[in-house]
Amino acid sequence: MTAGTRLALWRPRVLSLLRIIAALLFMEHGLIKHFHFPARHGAPVPLPPTLFIAATIEVIGGGLLALGLFTRPVAFLCAGEMAMAYFGFNNKIGPWPALNLGDVTILFCWIFLYLFCEGGGAWSLDALRRRLGRA
Amino acid sequence: MDRLNAWSPRVLSLLRIITALLFMEHGLMKLFHFPAPQPGAPDPLPTILLVAAILEVGGGALLTLGLFTRAAAFICSGEMAAAYFLVHAKSGPWPALNGGDDAILMCWVFFYLVFAGGGAWSVDALVRKRA
Repeated sequence: MTAGTRLALWRPRVLSLLRIIAALLFMEHGLIKHFHFPARHGAPVPLPPTLFIAATIEVIGGGLLALGLFTRPVAFLCAGEMAMAYFGFNNKIGPWPALNLGDVTILFCWIFLYLFCEGGGAWSLDALRRRLGRA
Repeated sequence: MDRLNAWSPRVLSLLRIITALLFMEHGLMKLFHFPAPQPGAPDPLPTILLVAAILEVGGGALLTLGLFTRAAAFICSGEMAAAYFLVHAKSGPWPALNGGDDAILMCWVFFYLVFAGGGAWSVDALVRKRA
């Protein structure tokens, strides 16, 4: 097995790792807003409706993406939420992502957009469903 | 679904370019104070931050172009892992609170690029087509 084919073999697995890590980090922001876990951070109490919806998308969408279940539609929804967060919040602080705290938002948005196009990778419930469906 | 799959290598290139530019911005802030000085970075830069900033500017530029993508991505991914454990992990275990989710996301996006390459829109793809 050459180095090239070995890299190609691991590609869908590493995609799944990227998906799981990004989903858990995304979910953490929802848990902070909804349940103050692991700590309270910034958001007003009680949450205004937009932040309430955002936090719900982050917890449930992040959970589904971590499992890799219904990856494409969920990733599309979460990417849209992150785009709205960037233009509704970060962009108002200033134009430079490293200074308006928006680079995390941008990275989430594009990672999820890529998952929408590529799917959840080798280690996902979607892949398991496909395999069971074929068997 | 076929349409989405057709777009996947192109969107991979967009993800690569965006991530690389955001990465490069942090290096430009440290080295040239552009668009503003990096908050918290001392002036003059200590050696380790100088090396980090050079990797961010040089590596970010190569990854933006998609030139030597896999090798550049491997080095940049390692730099972000080092940054997370040397800087962010010291301010606490939770990425959303220690300012580290940025570093983690860049680390994993670059690590994926090692395996996936630069996608459809990259100098690497252009060179392959020419050959």
